[in-house]
Amino acid sequence: MIINILFYLFSGILLLSSLMVILVQNSIYSVLFLVLSFISSAGILFLLKCEFLALMFIVIYVGAIAVLFLFVVMMLDVKTVSSKKDTLKYFPFGALIGGVFLTEILMVVGETFKSNPYENTFLGNFHFNWYERMDTFTEIQAIGQVVYTEYVLQFLIAGNVLLLATIAAVVLTLNTGVDSDKKQVIFRQLSRTYKNVLIV
Amino acid sequence: MRIETLLFKEIVILPELFLGLSLVYLVLHCTFLAVKKKNLLIQDSVLYLGVLVLFLSCVLVMNDCLDVLELSFLNDTIVNDYVSFSSKIVIGSLSLFCLLMMQPYLAGQKINQFEYILLILFAVLGLFLLCSSNDLLTAYLAIELQSLAFYVLASFKKTSTYSVDAGIKYFIMGAFSSSLFLFGSSLLYGVTGTINFEEFRDLLINVYPGSTINTTLPDISFFDVGLIKFGLIFILISLLFKLAIAPFHTWAPDVYEGSPSASTFFFAVVPKLAIFVLLLRIFYYSFFGFFESWRYFIVISVILSVIVGSFGGLEQRKLKSLLVYSSISHMGYALIAFSAGTLESVQMLFCYLVVYSFSGLCVWSIFLLTRVKNNSLQKQNKDLTDLVLLGKSNYMLAIFFTTVLFSVAGFPPMIGFLVKISVFLTAIESSMYFIALLSILCSVIGTFYYIRLIKILYFEKVLVGKLYHPIKLQSSVLISLLFFLFLFLFINPTILYLFSYKFSLLLSLAV
Repeated sequence: MIINILFYLFSGILLLSSLMVILVQNSIYSVLFLVLSFISSAGILFLLKCEFLALMFIVIYVGAIAVLFLFVVMMLDVKTVSSKKDTLKYFPFGALIGGVFLTEILMVVGETFKSNPYENTFLGNFHFNWYERMDTFTEIQAIGQVVYTEYVLQFLIAGNVLLLATIAAVVLTLNTGVDSDKKQVIFRQLSRTYKNVLIV
Repeated sequence: MRIETLLFKEIVILPELFLGLSLVYLVLHCTFLAVKKKNLLIQDSVLYLGVLVLFLSCVLVMNDCLDVLELSFLNDTIVNDYVSFSSKIVIGSLSLFCLLMMQPYLAGQKINQFEYILLILFAVLGLFLLCSSNDLLTAYLAIELQSLAFYVLASFKKTSTYSVDAGIKYFIMGAFSSSLFLFGSSLLYGVTGTINFEEFRDLLINVYPGSTINTTLPDISFFDVGLIKFGLIFILISLLFKLAIAPFHTWAPDVYEGSPSASTFFFAVVPKLAIFVLLLRIFYYSFFGFFESWRYFIVISVILSVIVGSFGGLEQRKLKSLLVYSSISHMGYALIAFSAGTLESVQMLFCYLVVYSFSGLCVWSIFLLTRVKNNSLQKQNKDLTDLVLLGKSNYMLAIFFTTVLFSVAGFPPMIGFLVKISVFLTAIESSMYFIALLSILCSVIGTFYYIRLIKILYFEKVLVGKLYHPIKLQSSVLISLLFFLFLFLFINPTILYLFSYKFSLLLSLAV
């Protein structure tokens, strides 16, 4: 029961936030809505018992990619242009594409869930798996058991690669008190005028 | 499948385990030392610690008992046969020499960060793992480990624009070739459902060179065979990128010139053998049935790289870029042996690579040791004229250099001649007459630039030569050792032939 309510909650948030991503004028807000949609889809994945995938969604999409987008958007300083008048122009094309995708998804769902016995009830996903109650482990446990036994050497090498990457990042960015020639001299920067600049 | 965990009985990867663990300890040690006092110069001590660690792991490799009955370990991801054993020993001793030789250069260039040594050790760890990897996943991870270290080594001198440029170029080309490798492996996995070299061989046991593939068998279809060939080409291209062989060589001159000479020294000499071992494992051990399809591409790159290597070197005025083109043509000769596909060819490939690596070691050490005085710019590269009249200013070093250059060029009494002629003989034995003829002609052309170097060393019409910094006792002992190794190999090449014969036999034992 509670799982179903949570499912509808998360999917509602997901639909709304992904709609807001394209409707909102300010691009920073739109990126933040993108983050919200990632988080809510991670919640749905949690409910479907794909814990590893959900955590990867949060770590990779929210932690890395969306923050990268945010930085890019903040740096680019995109001017907000009101696109209201274009909405009507692009509507037929967008509706066509959207319709095609909607039919595809409906067809896939119709094909896959044909034999679902709970099809006609409201609490369709509510069923009780006794096997799960008795003997189960989560996805992360299963992955961990494979990684720490069968692929232990590969796991160690991957750890070494990460250690190397950390050392490399420190080496390439740490300034060890040596005067490098790539320093910015603010006085020289400010005293540049149009006349003494070499134009290529 | 029996699932194995990392137990102490997995003594097979003890050298790698030791190297990795001591790397972690070295990182901790150096970090605490560096925090304690600001700008403390610990480069030398770290270098000697690194040499000690490398030496001990070489001893561990040598003490490995090679169990012939059971070769693969850790769920068949690691194989420990004579191939990995001998190539690990060669790589270990090469990197030991490299580390000891680059010490005066590092001090002269004021590369004082201790991480330089750690990066080299990481690269050696990756090469060790690459030599003994028995599936595509381990091989990929090992390649990534070594090439990530190389990218940073290339861009280590942050104050030099050339070095940073070289690092970025190396990174982009390396990432591109790694992605090709991944694409090829995913195709192979998609068709066969496995990534293990041994299982590939067992699966494709019906496919042998010259066989018409029986498509009526239910388990292998015509489409599958095509996809396997397609994936193999991608893997081949990515590994040729790493070796800088001709159609994929364009990054090499820029990267080798731009990066600090010690780094160039390291990645021009050491990693080639490990990548050839991986090539042997994939193409000879697992996919020898597709010999006819992949040989075609290898022959094309042989021809191109031999031509590019010998004609490209003619115009060079910098010593580094001359050596780059020389290495391109030498990789071409090694690839001739690879494309012949007989037992002798594998033997000659190993011989050629060992001799190439040791002569490269000698040439590059002399490159690093002749540090010109009054070099106000502290420039990393050397013109050819920087070595002018070395025969008068440093008589012994000039003799060493001349001998090694004769050997590299392939003059009759030297060991370089013996391995080169045997490579051409294997090509002729497997009826590749045109390629043998072409590469012999190109090698004659390539001899020109080695002879020109010797002429600059002795017979240049200038009155005064250059002044060099004195060479340390340690480096001079090492370089004399290398020279005597060359003389010994020329007097008694049988020892190398015996080792390489065992190398080729154990690889073919599995076929």
